[in-house]
Amino acid sequence: MDGRTDGVKDMAVQLPGMARVRARFIEMLIPRHDQIAENALAAWDGESVDEITGNLSSAQRVLHQIAGTAGSLGFPDLGAKASACENEIIAHLQGPDADLAICPFEVIQNIDLFLRDCRDIIEEQA
Amino acid sequence: MKILAVDDDPIILELLGEFILMLGDHELTMAESALDAIEVLRSPDSPRFDCLLIDIQMPGMDGIELTRTLRETKRFAETPILMLTAMTEKRYVDRAFAAGATDYVTKPFDIEELSERIANVEAQVEARRARTGKVFAANAVAEQAQAIALYEPLVIQEVDNVIEYLAMENYIAQLSRSALFGSTTFAFTVREIESFHDRLSAFEFHSLVSDVAEVISDTLAGHQFLMSYAGNGTYVCVTESGWRPDPDQLKDAVNLALKRSELYDNQGHRLEPQVCAGEAVRLIWKSGNSVMDALASAHASAEAACAAFEKSKYDLWTAGQTA
Repeated sequence: MDGRTDGVKDMAVQLPGMARVRARFIEMLIPRHDQIAENALAAWDGESVDEITGNLSSAQRVLHQIAGTAGSLGFPDLGAKASACENEIIAHLQGPDADLAICPFEVIQNIDLFLRDCRDIIEEQA
Repeated sequence: MKILAVDDDPIILELLGEFILMLGDHELTMAESALDAIEVLRSPDSPRFDCLLIDIQMPGMDGIELTRTLRETKRFAETPILMLTAMTEKRYVDRAFAAGATDYVTKPFDIEELSERIANVEAQVEARRARTGKVFAANAVAEQAQAIALYEPLVIQEVDNVIEYLAMENYIAQLSRSALFGSTTFAFTVREIESFHDRLSAFEFHSLVSDVAEVISDTLAGHQFLMSYAGNGTYVCVTESGWRPDPDQLKDAVNLALKRSELYDNQGHRLEPQVCAGEAVRLIWKSGNSVMDALASAHASAEAACAAFEKSKYDLWTAGQTA
């Protein structure tokens, strides 16, 4: 488990059914990890604007889901990193380069770091 | 309470299941999309829900569209709706309130925040039940006019950017949690509202309040704002777009539009409401209760403007007279 903050009040410990939800989260983290990796790679290799923005948007949707739940399940760092990656993608998609066939290196680099954290958690919990 | 939660993420639904279970004697039904939710709500077997928890970002019909759709139906016109939103979705929150959301809860959930919001809704549901009971009782013994108190905030439907007063308070509270730099509150009060209240039936009075709201909303169109009827003829408005409204100029524009609109009571008598505007109060560098105080100050300032207007009419006739 990564570092917790007082904000989430350690709900994972407080609630009796939380272990089951945590297990489901980890179980779903595996396909979500693969989905984000696939989208990030396709965006990086993409040659058209649609290919890049489409794949980044798909990755953003999955990151959004992880960002919304990880913190409540005892993984606030993972949630914060998912949120940061999501914000970077949104900034690019709403920024001046959105209509260019460019996939920013920083976005892919941070997704890569995030995916590494996902793998660490999946292995720890296995 | 009977609660329906709508979210495309099964983990969120499972989390809510655990939290709601812990928060008390509630019954939770889950739907994984807006269309699923509509199907559940239409089903004759489904319970009468007291509260809806709706995710903003969902594939297909999103939470804002679902809220707007539900608000258009009589059955869910007043049901409390809490939006589930990530901090990154702040930009959607205004749209959610404008669509009819009562409040919102941020993800990842903080159990204290969720508990507080659910308790607020529960209190609202209880208050509504009590009020509905009173209305039925009043209808049985007297004309319905008795059912609307002059100072009662009214729910106005199908007018752009007009939200319930409770939602306005929640909206202001969420503003105080974020940037207030470009936020301003201001208010309008209908002159001689007591006279309208005394001589109109409840239906006519509600119609008048709605019609004036529509005129104000149309006058403010083109600006980002939310507005609510706070009771006693007063409409409070909040903008957070950086727009610096000129209340005097707006008052003249609203009054001109009211003059041009043809409003009548049930007997065919023309109604000619006019408004006074209070001062615009900037919310910058305010926090917590002082934001609520600013709203109250804008409200009081509009009512004071009305009182001053009435006094000036009287003073006009007495000016120059000596005892």
